[in-house]
Amino acid sequence: MTGELVKAVGRFSETTIDTETVVMDLDSGDFFSLTGTAAAVWQRIDGTRSREALIAELVIEYPMAPAEIAGDVDAFLAQLLSAGLIAGT
Amino acid sequence: MAAMAHETRCHYGEVPRELGGLPVEPGFRIIADGQFLLRCASGFGYHYVPGAGITIERPNHADPDEESLWLNGSVYAAVACLNGLYPVHASAVASGGQVYAFTGPPGAGKSTMITGLGLRGLAMFCDDTLLLDLSDPQAVIALPGHKRLKLTDHALALTGLAGEQPVGAGTGKSYVVPPAGDVREPLPLARLVFLEEGPSAQWRTIEGAERFVRLADDHYTQDIYHEAQRPDRAALFAQRARLAQQVGMARLVRPLSAAGFAASLDLAAQRLGLPIKENQL
Repeated sequence: MTGELVKAVGRFSETTIDTETVVMDLDSGDFFSLTGTAAAVWQRIDGTRSREALIAELVIEYPMAPAEIAGDVDAFLAQLLSAGLIAGT
Repeated sequence: MAAMAHETRCHYGEVPRELGGLPVEPGFRIIADGQFLLRCASGFGYHYVPGAGITIERPNHADPDEESLWLNGSVYAAVACLNGLYPVHASAVASGGQVYAFTGPPGAGKSTMITGLGLRGLAMFCDDTLLLDLSDPQAVIALPGHKRLKLTDHALALTGLAGEQPVGAGTGKSYVVPPAGDVREPLPLARLVFLEEGPSAQWRTIEGAERFVRLADDHYTQDIYHEAQRPDRAALFAQRARLAQQVGMARLVRPLSAAGFAASLDLAAQRLGLPIKENQL
């Protein structure tokens, strides 16, 4: 996955409560509570950033090793792809 | 409020045996064509038609206690939901022009809590069912309750009150006069407190996504709301998200003993900033 990531508009509803983001899959009714890096990744998926660009931004923002951030991002993107909530090339 | 008073005008007569082309046997209810039909196993029937009010069919040898329980329960909830109001399984007090509601499953102590706060001087706002008007996107407005306050024998013992009269119909409860009276005007909902039983009185503010999750409600009035409004998942999500964002929430854990009850009233009043009188329990 090297191209820009986009959300699957129409497949989910989302809201932010305090500092947490809640995303619901409208097909299954399952919802995800996103905090920390997961919330930061979700907020940055806007069709202008690739996986690499996301990781580069988070490395600056979070005091974690780049490899750890990359691992977290990849795991979360895999979840979102599996749920059909994002698309990427 | 005026609309609900108009829509819940009652008269007696025979109710239909079907609605929307579907037969409704005793023991069943249906919402169809914007109307509500309930046929109770005991023979009572209730039919609501928007603009025309409620027709009540009263069987021979009817129990008047049962009549009012159905009317103030499922029937009133159906009329409210068909008119766009949102029900929450909660009892509430009013103070300072705002509503403070207590929710939890049956037996959680909702009525007991507002009665205890009533003994400390706070007026009752509603018992058991809290109706919300969400038509203004900027405000969550609560409508004053239509039900009389009902307590179990255990709750009467905890509060030291005497029942005014039995509720009847096998409920084992008694009607009670709210100790500090009640409020009869719509007010904004300030806080929703989830009641739980535990070994000691504890309070915790609910933050973030937990507020959204906590709003899952399996009370029968939610079933009626879904039948009346048929909201899709996106609409339900938006509604819960709005309540989670606009209404502060907390969790109150306490023992259901006399000492625990008194302590929980003090704790709730302190954390909610409610002005209460000295302990009279």
